[in-house]
Amino acid sequence: MSDQAVHDQSWDVVIVGAGVCGALLAKQLTRAGLRVLILEAGPDTASPFDGYLGHLEHFYTAASKGIGAPWPPAVSAPQPDTADLRTGGGYFVQNGPDKHASSYSRLLGGSTLHWLGVSLRMLPEDFELRSRYGRGQDWPLDYADLESYYERAEWELGVSADVADQAHHGIEFRQGYEYPMRRVPLSYSDQVLADAVDGMLVTVGDEQVPLKVRSYPAARNSIPRDGYRPAGAVDRRSDGQVVTRYTGQRCAGNTSCTPICPVEAKYHAGKSLEQADRRYLEVTAQAVASKIHVDPVSGMVQGIEYQRYTDRTSPRHTVHTVRARAYVLAAHAVENAKLMLMSGLGGENSLVGKGLIDHPALYGWGLAPVPVGAYRGPLSTAGIEDLRGGPFRAEHAAFRFDIGNDGWRATTGAPDTTVTDAVRRQGLFGTELRDHLQSVLPRQVRVSIAVEQLRSEKNSVSIDARYLDPLGNPRPVISYRIDDYTLAGMATAAEVCRQVLRRAGVEDHTNAADGSWFPEVRYDGQVFHYHGMGHFAGTHVMGRHARESVVDAGQRSWEHRNLYLVGGGSFPTMGTSNPTLTMAALTLRTAELMIAGLA
Amino acid sequence: MTATSASGPGAAADKRADLFLRLSELLTGFGGIDLLGTGLAGGYLRVVDDILPPGAGDELLAAFARLPAGLDRGAAVQTTILAHPKLGPVARNVILMWYRGTWTRLPDEWRSAYGTSPLDTDHVVSAEAYRSGLQWVAAGAHPAGALQQGYGAWASAPNEPASSPAAGQGAHK
Repeated sequence: MSDQAVHDQSWDVVIVGAGVCGALLAKQLTRAGLRVLILEAGPDTASPFDGYLGHLEHFYTAASKGIGAPWPPAVSAPQPDTADLRTGGGYFVQNGPDKHASSYSRLLGGSTLHWLGVSLRMLPEDFELRSRYGRGQDWPLDYADLESYYERAEWELGVSADVADQAHHGIEFRQGYEYPMRRVPLSYSDQVLADAVDGMLVTVGDEQVPLKVRSYPAARNSIPRDGYRPAGAVDRRSDGQVVTRYTGQRCAGNTSCTPICPVEAKYHAGKSLEQADRRYLEVTAQAVASKIHVDPVSGMVQGIEYQRYTDRTSPRHTVHTVRARAYVLAAHAVENAKLMLMSGLGGENSLVGKGLIDHPALYGWGLAPVPVGAYRGPLSTAGIEDLRGGPFRAEHAAFRFDIGNDGWRATTGAPDTTVTDAVRRQGLFGTELRDHLQSVLPRQVRVSIAVEQLRSEKNSVSIDARYLDPLGNPRPVISYRIDDYTLAGMATAAEVCRQVLRRAGVEDHTNAADGSWFPEVRYDGQVFHYHGMGHFAGTHVMGRHARESVVDAGQRSWEHRNLYLVGGGSFPTMGTSNPTLTMAALTLRTAELMIAGLA
Repeated sequence: MTATSASGPGAAADKRADLFLRLSELLTGFGGIDLLGTGLAGGYLRVVDDILPPGAGDELLAAFARLPAGLDRGAAVQTTILAHPKLGPVARNVILMWYRGTWTRLPDEWRSAYGTSPLDTDHVVSAEAYRSGLQWVAAGAHPAGALQQGYGAWASAPNEPASSPAAGQGAHK
């Protein structure tokens, strides 16, 4: 559809962003007969299967195989890259004092194109942290309010898990509920670790907590239940033709969930877009929303201005405006806040952009006493969930272990770095080299420990006229500090990690000097090197009252009643779960409210 | 007269390819069948020729050709090639290329002593080179993002690593 035609159409809803929230919303709204336009800032290069394979080729040939490697941005829709952390360049303006060490991608499908797929529900206690432990803030919703939406989200994303593994920390499931697919088999490495670790006691706060290696719910296709049909690869050609692909109906163990699943066995937002009622959906890619027009008296949104580019290597663009009955920002926690601020809509309480959080995470790594079969299977299949909740949260942050199947790839850049070290430093060659690598690589073990972070208004996304992108739009200025609550959690997490590795007989090789470069924080005489989990949240917080929040429990703007801001930005707290499933559940709830209001 | 003439340019190229393969066997610990099976041997020799200053690739192959036949060619490679200030770093790069599919920038001392090339950067030789890296074979695994093992294969114990054949050493006793 031409920009003129888009302008002339009467839309029920305009959605900014074709990531998981925008796509789920578009699916629900179009199926209710509402006419929806999505404006996506980035290109639509992954929808045709050939294009997707092009991204895969990018990954194969990239010298540095970081999370952004397969997904280079368009000039007009730049994105953060963690490789910029060290140099200080890039899209984010890091205002400190600590670095926000995460990234996201701007293209159709969003960051679901390179997420790990972890689909944990939040714990009931995560929604009432203030009431229970005097920390953070309570949500205007509780677990019971979201439970049925969690179910629906698990079926929309296609989550593989067994209920029996997931009922812990007060998480309840409806009688008879089943995830759509059986749990992803635990890796051999998980099984070896579980044999050693299950039942071991660790002391956290005043409690002794038994640990257990546990399968986590993953949005990766496994064996379906109850006639559920796993959604595989998408192949929508540029002329609109859709070709059926018999690829990706099962996870095949490519050990590459991030940064790209080669067979599309893992959920991405493009799958939900395919399930929308396409008669009522228009998706315009390479359209950067640049201003929200608001009626100064009523506060109602009157239109959204966007910059359309055709050449991905050039900032040349044209400017257009669209109008609808309701508007949704589903562009990402940072981009939603940025767009509000650049439209002069920081809010009477100035809360837009305030309260940015992530899961700063630590790595531990070592060598198992026996081969555990590293570098096989999904990037990870199990975690240790036992320290995600408990009374200790009155004192310090909770944390969660993810147990890798990818050797030391994430921590040191292995196997490449292991090979280079053996050849260049140890001087090995020939059969001695081969024997050494055969001995070491299959024994490499790593864990990643995501630590909870609470909102603080000092941590924020803001804009500054001095820092602009090639289109002349503001770049996000990130102010970020990891406070003592989280640092104390990191200290406990690091200690528990040492105990777990020791218990499993794993020779601890955790050493920042040998690892890939990560920013550091100091606490109580210790130095922690942390990485971001890409779990941006908290920038348009939801609450019970307009004075203390940006959106209500339905993610509807208090000040602009035909505007919704959806996604992680709405979270008052994030606990320790990867946010996508909760974002999806909230979005499905918002879709229901919107349909009730508009249909 | 055809290109297969025993004395023509084709023969010289064949001779170089054969030397490179046999040297690669000794350097990597993998047998010639494994290395030829990647289809990358010729490409890797071209990378060496393209990046190194003229004649350096031939110098490496000539040094290998001069090694005494016998049991201890491994030790001879060590002293004659790997310990050599010019040939050592090149040979180590050949090992890294076979294992990683990546050309690694030569050390600064080497570059200032023997010359630089704009192609001498850290780079993946090709997507096929990445997928064929011997590091994945050594790990008993598969390249991340390719040659998938299939649903659930990761739940089984890894295979015992195949014992290294006495590559090169055995073939050229």
